[in-house]
Amino acid sequence: MKILIADDSRVMRQIVVRTLRQAGFGDHDLVEAADGKEAFDMVTAEKPDLVISDWNMPQMTGIEVLRELRAAGNNVKFGFVTSESTPEMKSAAEGAGAAFFIVKPFTAERFDEVFAPILG
Amino acid sequence: MSVEVEVDESDLAEMVEQVWESYLDPEGVSPLIPTYDENQPSEVHSSVSITGSWSGHVVYASSRVAAQRAAAAFLAMELEEVSEEDMSDTLGELANIVGGNVKAMLPPGAQLSLPQVVLAPEASARFPNTERISGVYGMWEGEPVSISMWQSSTDNKEEGA
Repeated sequence: MKILIADDSRVMRQIVVRTLRQAGFGDHDLVEAADGKEAFDMVTAEKPDLVISDWNMPQMTGIEVLRELRAAGNNVKFGFVTSESTPEMKSAAEGAGAAFFIVKPFTAERFDEVFAPILG
Repeated sequence: MSVEVEVDESDLAEMVEQVWESYLDPEGVSPLIPTYDENQPSEVHSSVSITGSWSGHVVYASSRVAAQRAAAAFLAMELEEVSEEDMSDTLGELANIVGGNVKAMLPPGAQLSLPQVVLAPEASARFPNTERISGVYGMWEGEPVSISMWQSSTDNKEEGA
């Protein structure tokens, strides 16, 4: 599977990559986007099977990326890894079609719990 | 309008502990040891602003060495390999993580900014019209680290006059 990791922090992208490895998902093809606009463009260009996205990013926020993808008819599996987790954000994410919502700081156990059903 | 903030020092301490457990000290061998010294020195700092139901800033400040150590832990690399950019990125992410967790405890309608990083002491960039309402201050492997909340006081002018 191809997984797109979108976060404006390179450090956080590396932590996500490392945590995916620790949770046993390191064999998947991992690609990265450094802001929301790049994430949107890369979903079209790279056709990932899963998008793991930050919420608060320059250019486009994660929720804007998800909404625009869905508006364009793209149904890629998409979820959030974010430090912010308010009930309104979770409900906005669900409403837009997000598959998961992971709160920072996270652990490899949390990744396993969320991604095992998706990545097998 | 700003509301009475319901995030106290024990909440902040819990968030900080989670950051240490998840990223900075997963082995549980070098926790942040509280000093309760709100005037401890810093050499670098990062912040996020929150506006809306509560207005203010969440600030992460530390020594340069502590920031390099944090970056080394985040990136799983040696201290000598950490670049200035790694350190800035890590500082921004630390403010973002704590700020995001603070926001989650505030009433609905709060907005979180992108992080700002300043490679200079916290005292060099005091936020105008704010007062410190809470903070966690400690030493991490002998180096100062603090996380504090600053509330914008525009709504409290009458009380202060």
